[in-house]
Amino acid sequence: MWKYILNRLLISIPILLCVTFLVFVLLNVVPGDPVALMMKEKVSADVVARVRAQMHLDDPWIIRYFRFLWGLLHGDLGTSYKLQRSVTDLILQAFPRTMVLAFSAALVSWIVGIPAGILSAIRQYSVTDYFFMGFSLAGVSMPVFWSALLFQYVFALKLGWLPVSGFYGWQYVIMPAVVLGWSSAGLIARLTRSSLLDVMRNDYIRTARSKGARELAVITGHALKNALLPVVTIMAIQVASLLSGAVITESVFGIPGVGRIAVDAIKSRDMPLLQGSVLFATILVIIGNLVADILYSFLDPRIRLER
Amino acid sequence: MEKETIFDDVIRAFKENKTALFGLIVVVILIVLAVFAPYVTPYDPYEMDLNNRFLKPSLEHWFGTDMFGRDLFTRVIYGARISLAIGLIPSLIAVSIGAILGVISGYVGGRLGYWVMRMADVVMAFPSLLLAIVVMYTLGATLFNLFIALSVVGWAGAARVVRSQVLSIKEKEFIEAAKAIGVKDLKIMAKHVFPNCLPSLMVLFTMNIPDAILSEASLSFLGVGAQPPTPSWGLLVSNGKEFLFSAPWVAILPGVAIFITVLAFNFIGDGLRDAIDPYLKG
Amino acid sequence: MGSVLKRFYVFTIILLTLTFLVGTASMVSAKEKELRISYPEDPKTADCQKNTAYYMLPLNCFDRLIECVTLESGASQLVPGLAEKWEVSPNGKTYTFHLRHGVYFHNGEELTADDVVYTFDRMLDPKTQALNTDILNFVDGAQDRLDGKTNSTKGLKVLDKYTVQITLSQPFAPFLAVMASPQASIYNRKFTEKAGDQFGLTPKTTCGTGPFILKEYVLNDHMTLVANDKYYRGRPQLDKVFVRVVTDPETMRMLFEAGEIDIFDCDYAFSQIPYFLESPKWKDRVVSGPRVGIYYMCINQKKEPFGDVRVRKALQMAIDRKTILDTLFYGRGTLAHGIMPKGLIGYNPNLEPIKYDPKKAKELLAEAGYPNGVDMTLVQVSTWGQTWAKMNELVQAMVKEAGFRVKISQVDESTFYAVRKTGDSDHYIQVWSADFNDPDNFFYTFFSKSGTVVRSFNNNDPEVFEALDHARTITDQKERIALYRKLEKKIAQDQAAWVPFFNIEHLYVLGPRVKKFVVPWNGWSDMSYYEMNVE
Repeated sequence: MWKYILNRLLISIPILLCVTFLVFVLLNVVPGDPVALMMKEKVSADVVARVRAQMHLDDPWIIRYFRFLWGLLHGDLGTSYKLQRSVTDLILQAFPRTMVLAFSAALVSWIVGIPAGILSAIRQYSVTDYFFMGFSLAGVSMPVFWSALLFQYVFALKLGWLPVSGFYGWQYVIMPAVVLGWSSAGLIARLTRSSLLDVMRNDYIRTARSKGARELAVITGHALKNALLPVVTIMAIQVASLLSGAVITESVFGIPGVGRIAVDAIKSRDMPLLQGSVLFATILVIIGNLVADILYSFLDPRIRLER
Repeated sequence: MEKETIFDDVIRAFKENKTALFGLIVVVILIVLAVFAPYVTPYDPYEMDLNNRFLKPSLEHWFGTDMFGRDLFTRVIYGARISLAIGLIPSLIAVSIGAILGVISGYVGGRLGYWVMRMADVVMAFPSLLLAIVVMYTLGATLFNLFIALSVVGWAGAARVVRSQVLSIKEKEFIEAAKAIGVKDLKIMAKHVFPNCLPSLMVLFTMNIPDAILSEASLSFLGVGAQPPTPSWGLLVSNGKEFLFSAPWVAILPGVAIFITVLAFNFIGDGLRDAIDPYLKG
Repeated sequence: MGSVLKRFYVFTIILLTLTFLVGTASMVSAKEKELRISYPEDPKTADCQKNTAYYMLPLNCFDRLIECVTLESGASQLVPGLAEKWEVSPNGKTYTFHLRHGVYFHNGEELTADDVVYTFDRMLDPKTQALNTDILNFVDGAQDRLDGKTNSTKGLKVLDKYTVQITLSQPFAPFLAVMASPQASIYNRKFTEKAGDQFGLTPKTTCGTGPFILKEYVLNDHMTLVANDKYYRGRPQLDKVFVRVVTDPETMRMLFEAGEIDIFDCDYAFSQIPYFLESPKWKDRVVSGPRVGIYYMCINQKKEPFGDVRVRKALQMAIDRKTILDTLFYGRGTLAHGIMPKGLIGYNPNLEPIKYDPKKAKELLAEAGYPNGVDMTLVQVSTWGQTWAKMNELVQAMVKEAGFRVKISQVDESTFYAVRKTGDSDHYIQVWSADFNDPDNFFYTFFSKSGTVVRSFNNNDPEVFEALDHARTITDQKERIALYRKLEKKIAQDQAAWVPFFNIEHLYVLGPRVKKFVVPWNGWSDMSYYEMNVE
């Protein structure tokens, strides 16, 4: 098992390097004068030349890449063109808010998704099953930006129960977490249901039932443990989809997190900021996948017992 | 002995699964509406009528009018063209590229196969929306570039699935037999390996479509996809957002269109997957 | 459900609560008089010398030698600010300011003449890389200072602790008005030198004499200003101003309706105006003032065939500006036919109007040799608000009739500015609001020798250049205005160097908590909150 984990860790490093390279190439290949963006209208030619030299903008790109990589290793992601502040600082400030949002959304998805999946599996093909599966499918099919607007309209404007947008207290997290969590909940519910159904068909479960154990105990005691295996790994992989969804949720609900930074950065063509936030998010996903792999290796006896 | 073809599987999927059939009907209707848009819609999607702005849905304007007096129903129908195109084409491209690379990687193996899979890992490491945003930054925000961006994002997952399929097929006896006879590798790949992957490919394709449609809508909503006055559904919702309180139909109805379309494709995808290849669930 | 599930639920509920507590911040205290407003973009810095667009922080946290106050809407007056009186020498070149005694910066230091000299010298210091140096262009020795040839500015002199003398290289009539603009805010030498390049970026590194102190600044999210008890004119009535950065109009509207912000600035959401004007709840809470500014289309004469004045005149006649005004701004404004907007000194209400006549435009085009019409490109910046996009779309549709085929090209902000200042930009629609109450602010910016290039007009008329330079030095106000009026007719009408659209009113909707609101003289969104009050 440890060999497996080490293997996964080692593979992550070149992947990480390739990711930084890909992002750097894609974003730096494009022309556009960042100095003009900083200085907008009133600047003279020699000021531009001096600042460009200071920012090493005219060096060959391979050198700029290594300089960037060097800075990355020291935790320096560059300086935002538009906001004139360290990208690392901006992202570190924004990250906790995204964490709160993502974690809350994940919680919503587990709280709603897992019981829904379990109930659907137990009462397969019943009204409950169709209802929950329909609900899940709706969650997955609805565009997040649209459901966000609907929620704002109903709960903030019409009913006045919740605040419209911003991030100044716990009430501000409720709608975004529910909106973001709903689509994840759908995925989790469906996965839990199918996984549980598979396991329930297994022989040893039938044996346990025939021994007379109460159905519910059977399920929660035996089936669930095995059924949750793929679900647990999905939870860790949720990181990627939650981060994608957070981009939109943060924009609509005005939450100053990493997702909103990325959107603002692409709109104002603030390359260092976009670069930093995308890299940061990707690193999170890679870590998430790593954690998922490690968790899986612990839980799946086949890998755990491998020599 | 009658060999069950993939088409039998497909037909069985729709016969047994009523929701999948429903989804198929909806999609067909949408395609018809989109293709025959000029004949189905009474107005021009770009023509402004500033005296008739923000009209509520009525018999004259089924979905009402928007902030420039353009008929919303017309714009939504024309938007269907965009959504269907962006759903189908990048998915097709992505799955095709992924399939070819996956077959090569799985069958040929070796260093080429290894590196192709590493490339796929790199692409899959990104949250898909962010990768699409980066590509749009590089190329510029237009609808055409969105096709490219979504294809780039989609190929990796397909490659991975195809590769694992190929690996299991490779071991099968009839492949070894063909090799023993002396059939060339390329021919084996084309005639034996590839067709066996088709069921999974079909499912992959159908399951990629809703993601592509949602991604395009999201990106256009954010302003980094289609640009005005293109009637992309995502763009319609974002344009209508400002008037949510006074003219809610402008933002809500295009969203309903997105919802129904994606739901229909999800129904189809689920149905196909259940019938053809249940192992794709994980 | 099974006990495992129950335990699972209890566990997650506890986790949820903890999570929410983690993200908690302080809420609005009901006993304080707090004004909550929204702002369209993060201002990036409170340093007015490095900011060309966002002046809310300089207007509230800093003061200037002279201030411009609203008398009634549109009319304004220059009154003493940090300087209680001043003299101008007969040749118009030397200004002597006598500062008030006993004015203190937020850090406790008293305001002295040295601070004034330091502030302006800092603006001209090449190390600062200031962007608003043009307000000091005429100060003696300014250019040498900017070029790095000297270590101090010749024309800035400390006469004694409270007296500053500024000498110009030539008379510049608008100088006093310029001293009242937010770019001329005064800094404290000791504090600002210590803060270095962090000045204006955080509350700890921001210090002025103004009625409010910057207490909190979370980038791209919000700013909090608290009242300055020791303000020289008396403590403001407000205790706190909470500024939220809200980038889109719908959220702004929702926040306002839900009572989370107190003032709705219609400038950022024109589309909401009819709703507010018609709503029984809000229509009596709408206040307005003219914006001393003008919407215009820049015609780049380098882009053929716009070098031909007939083509430009045709374009002027091909746009139905009244319909744009009615559609996008609900008719709240006046059509412009020249350069100087309503509310500006020198405004000419009797200018001959530019008519909307697409037929005549088509004829004029044919006469110029383009019977089949003309192709042109309008450039649009992708990050600017919806209003610009809509205006471009409207114009595109309108000018078709006269034969202009418009393509709208999208660029990002940095490219736009970079290209424009080389004089090669495509035509664009924009707005210009008065920085200070003087025609020079409009004419010189667009039609002077340098201005006409960096704004991509390329209206190269040496007579105009000379006249504009000369107008700056005329000391007789009447003579100056007469000259500007003559130039206005020449540039905007005879030469058709741009298409003036309209001056619009600035509408604000006041929430129920707002007791007193003062519309700034120039109809800006950035304003001082000193005079305002909530219940």
